[in-house]
Amino acid sequence: MIAKRPARSRLRRPPGLVVVGVILVTVFCLVAIRDFDYAGARTSGSDVWVDVAHGTGAANVISSIYLGARLFDTILEVLVFSVAALGVRFYLSARGRSYEAELVPESHIVRVAVGVLLPPILLLGIYVLSYGHLSPGGGFSGGVIGASGLLFAAISLGTAHVSQRMRPPVLRWMEWSVLLGLIALAALPATCSLPLLADPLPAGRMGSLMSGGSIPLYNGLIGLKVFIGAWIVIKHFVDHRGEI
Amino acid sequence: MTARLVLLGLLPLTAALALLQRRRLYAIIGMALTSLLLASVFYLSQAPDVAITEAAIGAALVTFIYVLAIRRTGRLNVVASEVAGLMERVGDRIQGFEWEILDRFARRVGLDLSVQFVRIDEIEKVLLQRDADLGAGGLLPDAWDRRLLTSREHLPTARVAIVGPVSSAARDDESDRPSTPLVGHLTDVIDAVRDRRPIDTRLDLARFLVLSRHGLDGYRVVRDDIETGYAFVVAPHRADLYTQLEAMIEELRESGDLDRMAERYLT
Repeated sequence: MIAKRPARSRLRRPPGLVVVGVILVTVFCLVAIRDFDYAGARTSGSDVWVDVAHGTGAANVISSIYLGARLFDTILEVLVFSVAALGVRFYLSARGRSYEAELVPESHIVRVAVGVLLPPILLLGIYVLSYGHLSPGGGFSGGVIGASGLLFAAISLGTAHVSQRMRPPVLRWMEWSVLLGLIALAALPATCSLPLLADPLPAGRMGSLMSGGSIPLYNGLIGLKVFIGAWIVIKHFVDHRGEI
Repeated sequence: MTARLVLLGLLPLTAALALLQRRRLYAIIGMALTSLLLASVFYLSQAPDVAITEAAIGAALVTFIYVLAIRRTGRLNVVASEVAGLMERVGDRIQGFEWEILDRFARRVGLDLSVQFVRIDEIEKVLLQRDADLGAGGLLPDAWDRRLLTSREHLPTARVAIVGPVSSAARDDESDRPSTPLVGHLTDVIDAVRDRRPIDTRLDLARFLVLSRHGLDGYRVVRDDIETGYAFVVAPHRADLYTQLEAMIEELRESGDLDRMAERYLT
């Protein structure tokens, strides 16, 4: 009986803390939402950003900011992602390859669902990516949606099967080419004797697919980078840490 | 505004739900649900771009990564030899003394228990190949590869030597056959006893009880004086499980649960 007492108290403590935490977070959220002036935040300075959007030709104001005036922030984020992928590759390579893990048999329903759902998921990724300058979305979310689709396939078909279709040498080459392409595109205005953040491509008619200047190109490159990078990271974990 | 308030109120609840789950899969589902709610809050807060990214990363990509991670680590893969009373199939479920211990253990460590039945002489190979985490099913602690970790004995047993047939009941045409050199593979011994073929083997008590149901008339049965007990064998790559299993068996013994379970399944 003496041995059981500490075990009980250990079990009781985390839920107690969680309940207190939940109450604190709830109170914080309610206070924050009550005090935060959403209407004010939406109107203040909005004219400035609408002007920015008109300048780039992109109907999605957000994408015209992070791929326009805040382009270098975005490029640095992509660099951080690339360095993270490089770190995963570097440290996992030192561990050597994992043993041959057998594919855990998946249910028939999941296997069929992959065949049915994978094309629409990839299509959605491409849509979100290519219409990022017109509607909510962009390169990051489009790339992540595509990578999620691949992971979904990997869960039921196995990474080896998906990897064969993806051609790893081509992916490795593309991963760095895309990053170089992004940096080159960002440096293009400077080489054309334009201001640093000026767009060398025509803005086009706002609302049409061929608008937004370089923004669709950036979205495409970022989407490709995120798609390939996410897959490579997962593949390295599988190769060097075992599983699927 | 009301919808946003409701969703914000639900957020900490789903987060707590994810935190409190013992099963990892349910925790992952809770996290995905939290992400989805958060995405809805972003959407209602006029931030559809952030909402899409949150939904794609939080509810989809991260969920899939976690599901991938628990595909192997979320299961307690047990390789076992089937023995009545200890671990046996009854209809579409498994029951027995060792099954109950492992079931409790899996719940405690938050893993899904999965059992694969094999011949007793295959257990060592399967564990060393890392195809399973733990070996069970009436295993005696000696004679295992040094790399495998053997838990402390959870149930006392003894070895029984069975030799024979010693009477004239043995068939003359089969008396010159060599003795079955079996260590513990029960089905072969049972076949030999049914055919009244000569055997010279040693079995543990649980397997001996199964064998005795098939009639041992004419066979000489000698119980070994050396006391031993059943134990679990843990694969070398799951040393973390080994210490937790040892602690749980000790707890069960001290609380008297181990004796109650033995009475339930073995008397």
